[in-house]
Amino acid sequence: MAEDKITWTARFVEGDLSEAEMAEFEAQLQTDAELQQHLENYRQLQQNLRQQLAPDAVREALQQTLGKLNSQYFGHETQVLSLKPIIKWASGIAAVLAIGLFIWAPWRGNLYQQYHVPGQMLVAERGAASETELDKAASFYNDGKYAEAKSILEKLYSKDSQNAQLSYYYAQTLLATGRVEQGRELLTTVYNGESAFKYDAAYAIAMSYLKTGQKTECKSWLQKIAKGTTHYQKATDLIQKL
Amino acid sequence: MAKTVHPDQRYLLALLNNDAQLINEIYKKCAGKVKSFVCFNNGDANDAEDIFQEALVDVYNQAKYKGLELTCPFEPFLLLVCKRKWLNELKKRAVLPVTKEEDSLLHIGEDTFEQAEQLEKQQEQSKLFLKAFEKLGERCQEIIRWSLKGEAQEKVAEALGVTYGYLRKKKSECMASLMKLVQLNK
Repeated sequence: MAEDKITWTARFVEGDLSEAEMAEFEAQLQTDAELQQHLENYRQLQQNLRQQLAPDAVREALQQTLGKLNSQYFGHETQVLSLKPIIKWASGIAAVLAIGLFIWAPWRGNLYQQYHVPGQMLVAERGAASETELDKAASFYNDGKYAEAKSILEKLYSKDSQNAQLSYYYAQTLLATGRVEQGRELLTTVYNGESAFKYDAAYAIAMSYLKTGQKTECKSWLQKIAKGTTHYQKATDLIQKL
Repeated sequence: MAKTVHPDQRYLLALLNNDAQLINEIYKKCAGKVKSFVCFNNGDANDAEDIFQEALVDVYNQAKYKGLELTCPFEPFLLLVCKRKWLNELKKRAVLPVTKEEDSLLHIGEDTFEQAEQLEKQQEQSKLFLKAFEKLGERCQEIIRWSLKGEAQEKVAEALGVTYGYLRKKKSECMASLMKLVQLNK
């Protein structure tokens, strides 16, 4: 055995040993307390990873059940739908379009700069007069302070990971702060769902690949964007240029 | 002497099976108490709701992934878990808790304390593992995440565009690095 015992244990559990090596490991395991401890730790690590990272459909369903009961037992004021948020949205969308057109301007050279639209984080008003954590995150986000926005969104997301809006903006801040792989992963989840952010997520993933120069991946994500959605036109244009 | 499982284990099963009716019973029994505890201690209904949901998901996680078995009654156990969670949250927010640790409202057995403590420890440990995981390189994270999706390893290799043999080798390397990171963090 040339390698350290931890690596050896990992290779044993992952089935990366030959038959002879396997036998050697098992024989030594009988008497080697350190090795036994490593194996036990390894099993624990596997369990923890499963708990933290593996998809768990029942847990998701449970969280929905809890969400429903929460509003019943913790006495929330029901959200009142007023025109105000709609106007906010509309003006926000107009602003995004304006910014989009501006960034889109064909005289710019770099494709990423042309097509990357970080967008404004729009938060529908919840009726409460005081500023919520989400509002704070939105104002950081809209000022381009992604690191600050990220730390708030991270907390909100950890409490409400089913929320597509939170997931989407949290993922955007991850991308903006260099946690690219994690951001893409989360956006993929959003894309696989059926929320309003589905194609925004696909577009954001495409942009992240454009940024890193991975054109094939970028294209394949752009192609997922359905006709008639916000980013469709930009996506088709960009595919041609690539 | 092995401890016997408490009949209230059924509440854990309710969480594991997402049995809405029985979960509703948990809310009926405990939600009000958690709400008033949190509200009396520098929190509001929203905080109480978050704490309550988090606690139930923690219990679910422990039951599903760590084989938690209840040897004490469920209600005081859950209340204690929520309370500790809230006190920790207050510490994080740097607000000093008003009430004292011991609870005058409930009769709490030693088992309950032990189990609540166990749960808290396990949760902390999980967080530690996750932190270590995030320190791994991107490729390692990707490989481990993929392997956790429950698909056949051959399929995972295909999805990642590598051979099965390479995946096995790389995965054990990644897991070994992770083990070492965890040990450093301890």
